Amino acid sequence: MSYINIDQELCTGCRRCAEVCPVDAIEGEEGKPQKINTEICIMCGQCVQKCSVYAPYFDDGITPINMKLQERGMLESVKEPLFAAYNIGQAKKVREALANPQLFKVVQCAPAVRVAIAEEFGLNLGALTPGKMAAALRRLGFNKVYDTNFGADLTIMEEGNELIKRVTEGKDLPLFTSCCPAWVKFMEQAYPELLKNLSTCKSPQQMQGAIIKTYGAKINNMDPAKIFSVSVMPCTCKPFESDRPEMMASGYKDVDVVITTRELAYLIKDKGIDFANLPDEGFDLPLGDYTGAATIFGSTGGVMEAALRTAYEIITKNPIPKIDIEFVRGGEGVRTATVQIGDLELKIAVVAGLKNVLPILEDLKKGKSDYHFIEVMACPEGCISGGGQPKVLLEEYRGIAYKNRKDAIYKHDSELKLRKSHENPDIKKLYDEFLGEPLGKQSHHLLHTKYKSRKEK
Amino acid sequence: MKTKLNSFVVANAAKCIGCKSCEVACFTVHNRNNHVAATVGTVTVPIIPRLYLIRSEHGTIPIQCRHCEDAPCANVCPVGAIKQEGNAIIINEKTCIGCKTCLLACPFGAIDLLPQYDDGKEVLQINLKEEEEGGLTQKARVIAYKCDLCEDIGEPACIKACPVNALTLVTPTEERKARNKEAALSLIKTING
Ligand code: SF4
Ligand code: SF4
Ligand code: SF4
Ligand code: SF4
Repeated sequence: MSYINIDQELCTGCRRCAEVCPVDAIEGEEGKPQKINTEICIMCGQCVQKCSVYAPYFDDGITPINMKLQERGMLESVKEPLFAAYNIGQAKKVREALANPQLFKVVQCAPAVRVAIAEEFGLNLGALTPGKMAAALRRLGFNKVYDTNFGADLTIMEEGNELIKRVTEGKDLPLFTSCCPAWVKFMEQAYPELLKNLSTCKSPQQMQGAIIKTYGAKINNMDPAKIFSVSVMPCTCKPFESDRPEMMASGYKDVDVVITTRELAYLIKDKGIDFANLPDEGFDLPLGDYTGAATIFGSTGGVMEAALRTAYEIITKNPIPKIDIEFVRGGEGVRTATVQIGDLELKIAVVAGLKNVLPILEDLKKGKSDYHFIEVMACPEGCISGGGQPKVLLEEYRGIAYKNRKDAIYKHDSELKLRKSHENPDIKKLYDEFLGEPLGKQSHHLLHTKYKSRKEK
Repeated sequence: MKTKLNSFVVANAAKCIGCKSCEVACFTVHNRNNHVAATVGTVTVPIIPRLYLIRSEHGTIPIQCRHCEDAPCANVCPVGAIKQEGNAIIINEKTCIGCKTCLLACPFGAIDLLPQYDDGKEVLQINLKEEEEGGLTQKARVIAYKCDLCEDIGEPACIKACPVNALTLVTPTEERKARNKEAALSLIKTING
């Protein structure tokens, strides 16, 4: 099954999707329906965001809309127009599971979802609604409303320590972040010789998934076999990640089903929940507790900034003088800097938009790279601009949407009491009670992974 | 007497790539009353544009109202729902009775008759009922739709949305003067060698 598709009946061959595809996976003649080369497609869903050719409602000459909904795995209650480029949805599976009393339903939500979901209910672009989102998830019937942000704090603990270890040993540098599954797939298929440079850390989604079915099962006194774990993501590649055979560290599929921000909106509408007027509710503890560092993961530069906040304090044992690390937040495709951490001059780069990483990878192959740490996100502004996010109706809204979502993320960070991952009290407790230490045996088993080449020899 | 000719939007077939951005934009700006906001998820009614992308073997091009000076649609409307307003020909969707006379009269096929939507719901007729699967139901109100040059927002949304600038607003009087000038200039150049 391919996760991203083009409806052959609708596509007019305008090839605007091909302009945004970072790996040139969209093939076809101009003016003719396009096809996706699924071997190289990294499932970022930027084509889904771009396509503006919709299925006309009053045209009897095409496959009826309800059949198209079915083909696309969408709820039959969805009213919005359907476009030629689309991703296969999973909302039906979630609705089914929610109606099953035998299951213990758990959900986690990525940081970029809470700054965009409200748009689907007519609120302003980038409206920040973590409280309403948690409330909506509870009304949908989830037994526990947890948070990928907790997993993001955990990722920083592991990845921060991995960075320090590699820098100290001078081994396999630069270290590349591994939170973005589209970027990871790209490395596996295009640069397998550089896979040792990828962080072995799983993404926050998968760390959270593994913790939910182990530690979470324990504290909730639940048989992990009964836990149905859903994640809500801004990303159309995350279902692919959760389906990887190695993502079963808990002994079960760590994340059972992934839905996008847009699909969460479908479920909320399907149940007739009045999102805009929901009260603000909190996430369930302890696996819903998070810091500002975790929430900025949703924007380009966020993982880097979060990692620096923690790495600085672990290395120097002093509080970081300025917590807002502005220079990694810019909008350009590549940002580079040198950061002084004690005696260490850390050379870093932040890359958003997959095409922008190519020169860096080529330099590295030639042995010409002196970076220590590089964040890469496949989407143009990081996950706030992901393929599963609300799709803007007019191109002129795109810039504002991305800017507002980003501003909301940093505002959320600045308003949280704790803003450094290692200060998250429930993360500390997780290590004390269950994991032991970062990069330890249990962490290694649950939170780290291996990569394999997808290149044909 | 009004001397300025009506403006209209034309497309350049050589440029148009057939992306329908123009149709989506047209629909978006005309459906605030249906709670259509910035993202696709806010859309609960069918997309009804007022220009129509036409595909032929020679390429694609959107077709829309020319805002005719002696507008056949306005001339034939039995209830006077089509009027000259400013520099455009406008249909009053409130008074339109869906008789389709304008559709037949328009030489460009720029008018379509489709159900009316308000507050995100189909507008129903007061008295007329029709036989459906579940018995008699109230019949939806059908009205005429066509390009109004986005008179409410001041500039045609389709032009702004087209990623390849295939659409332009023609203001005929100015266009004619500009062409006169061009012709004169080239003539002068030819004569003066
Ligand atoms: S998928 Fe959409 S954007 Fe891509 S060529 Fe087809 S119609 Fe155009
Ligand atoms: S999902 Fe991304 S990589 Fe795949 S075809 Fe679409 S734009 Fe290209
Ligand atoms: S940047 Fe974020 S949304 Fe985009 S592909 Fe990567 S993880 Fe997914
Ligand atoms: S927006 Fe422009 S390119 Fe796209 S269909 Fe309309 S006229 Fe053609």
